[in-house]
Amino acid sequence: MGRFLRDGSLKEKSLRDRNLRDTSLRKGLKRALKISLSLAAALGMALAPATAQASDGTSYVYDGYTYDYYGNAKESPAMFRLERTITAADAGGIAMSGVDDVCTSEDGRIFAIDTAESRMNVFGPDGGFLYSTKLVRTQDNKIALAEDGSQIMLTAPEGIFIHEKNREIYIADTGNQRIVVLDLDNYGLVRIIGEPEELAGVTQFKPSKLAVDFADRIYVVVQSSYEGILELTKDGAFSGYYGVNTPRVSLADYFWKSLASDQQKEKMTKTYAPSFNNITLDGEGFVMAVTYDLSAEDMVFRLNSKGKNVLREEGNTLVKGDIWSMNSDDPGSQFVDIAVTDYGTYALLDKNKGRIFLYNFDGELLNAFGAMGNLKGEFKNPTSLAWLGDKLVISDTMLGCIYILAPTAFGQAVLEGNESYYFGRWDEALGSFRKALDLNANYEAAYSGIGKNYLMKDEYETAMYYFKMGNNRTFYSKAYNGYRALWMEDHFLIIMLLFVLLVAAVVGSEIRYHKQSKEKQKAAMKRLNSRRGRAVE
Amino acid sequence: MKEAVREKLSYLKQSLFHPFDAFYEIRFRGRGSVVLAALLLALFGILQCVSYQYTGFVINENEVESMNSLSIFLTWVLGLLLFIVSNWSVTTLLNGKGGMGDILKVVSYSLVPFICALLFQVVVSNFIILEEAMIVYVVTGIGTVWTLFMLLAGLCVIHEYGFGKNLIAIVLTFVAAAIIMFLGILIFTLIEQMVFFVISVGQEFFRRL
Repeated sequence: MGRFLRDGSLKEKSLRDRNLRDTSLRKGLKRALKISLSLAAALGMALAPATAQASDGTSYVYDGYTYDYYGNAKESPAMFRLERTITAADAGGIAMSGVDDVCTSEDGRIFAIDTAESRMNVFGPDGGFLYSTKLVRTQDNKIALAEDGSQIMLTAPEGIFIHEKNREIYIADTGNQRIVVLDLDNYGLVRIIGEPEELAGVTQFKPSKLAVDFADRIYVVVQSSYEGILELTKDGAFSGYYGVNTPRVSLADYFWKSLASDQQKEKMTKTYAPSFNNITLDGEGFVMAVTYDLSAEDMVFRLNSKGKNVLREEGNTLVKGDIWSMNSDDPGSQFVDIAVTDYGTYALLDKNKGRIFLYNFDGELLNAFGAMGNLKGEFKNPTSLAWLGDKLVISDTMLGCIYILAPTAFGQAVLEGNESYYFGRWDEALGSFRKALDLNANYEAAYSGIGKNYLMKDEYETAMYYFKMGNNRTFYSKAYNGYRALWMEDHFLIIMLLFVLLVAAVVGSEIRYHKQSKEKQKAAMKRLNSRRGRAVE
Repeated sequence: MKEAVREKLSYLKQSLFHPFDAFYEIRFRGRGSVVLAALLLALFGILQCVSYQYTGFVINENEVESMNSLSIFLTWVLGLLLFIVSNWSVTTLLNGKGGMGDILKVVSYSLVPFICALLFQVVVSNFIILEEAMIVYVVTGIGTVWTLFMLLAGLCVIHEYGFGKNLIAIVLTFVAAAIIMFLGILIFTLIEQMVFFVISVGQEFFRRL
């Protein structure tokens, strides 16, 4: 019990932390007022003291929440803070009117696609401008020409993907209905993939988002295509449609459809399979996709080689972002992009409320944060996100900027914990989750994480305690199974004795009953005989 | 006194295994007890609270931290009382022979299997893992079916209904319950408005004094 008490103080400690934070915030406010940098700043402070920025520049717009087992939103400290904003001013004098897709390379470069200006802009990991292109050049920096002699210009490109294996950049040149492949190092043209000749179906070849897997297969998302993801071979030949996105069927629709005649059915609006809207690859080479089509049943997909959704949803909630909506015309979370780390933790970008949802490999919600608004770090029309190591890169097309978010101490602890757990480094994971709990005692995912690590070490009782705190019934049951087996071994003698006693009692009562009934029978016979004897006399 | 209690309990036991005979005796020969029925009803309400909180963690999906035992107790007990009242109001119109007390006895007596199942659930669920939860669910299921059977049988007997008419009466009972609830809410809102009116008149009066 002593162990438990010590952990019970966790909660107190985090409360104290929160108080500290509050007082420091208040102190900051006081200082700001005292110095009174400007009237406007003081006014802004007074109007929105909790969510605005403190005088030291710390932003609280990323304070987030998670859901507990019962679906209550639980406040959580921020996992990320705004580290840097890349805007048009950083683009080296090149017009930048929006950012519609971002992608990062392993060496830390950030690639941004600007649809309106038909440009690909490249920034360094520190946000410095590196390169920008609209007119594609060859490897030796000459102007590249297509087969018909025209210059190769990007026209309203929508997507970009970095293929580290071949050191290539794939750009979905949507306006020209082709995919442009550039070299990752010198940005020179490698090849152009046009519309495949044998393209089947009704989907127009207008590549919007794309991904290339380890076997160089190219997956292309065409917006509003109901046939699935286009799969191309290495050379750009059509190989098939991939992935199923099932529409949600309402009971009322089903009922009316079943009544309708064939002629009526023809006139009814057809339910098409919802389209995929964005795509990426996870560390194991699985295709992960998202959709914001309202008629879709699933919002997030992890597609296996057959195109079936094998996303793990073992958390408190389904992987659908916000689980409650405030009113009936709130469509819920609408994911425009997904980014996955090597250890399966993925971030989803919700364009409806400007939120970022972080889920781990098991589908547990790690944090949800971000908002639409005018404060620094908030969004207007978020379009894309990508991981840059532990940092998140998020683009907003209306603001025309890229945010780089760095993890806070809490975020670092959570991400490290999940990474260590994913790779089976139990002790490290335990340390990270403890750190996360120190900063946020409401964090069920961390309680579960600690419990899982104790379970792996066969410390059942401790594991049970943490699973109970983390409201994780499945794993609690696993831990209890071990605990019960041990208990039975320890108390085998008593259990056996009780069992023997029980059997003895049952057998004894049976014998007694038998004897009694026999005696009764004897007595009855005697009576009968005596009566008969009397009758004979 | 002791004899009388024993007799009542023996009919309770009989109603479990021979509901038709037992409820006949209870209805037409006065072998039942309203006090015992009320006690069972209260026990049922209390057990609902107990099971809400003390059912083993593995299968207990209730939010124990924010539990309100009074509301659980009242929900169950008042719900059953509402059923009794509306069943009585329907069956009086449909030539039912049972009085309010008889319906109370039938309802409460038939809760006994469910009460036993609840007890079983509370005790056993603390010692099971998720794979064995089926045992508890099966027992609770049996308890529920048993309770429903006793209820149907008992209502048939006390009202002298056939099975079909009994079912119709039960469906109408739910309609009647809905109407009663509607009227109840209506009365509450009207009274609330009236009280508010009186209070505001009073306030006005004293402020101008």
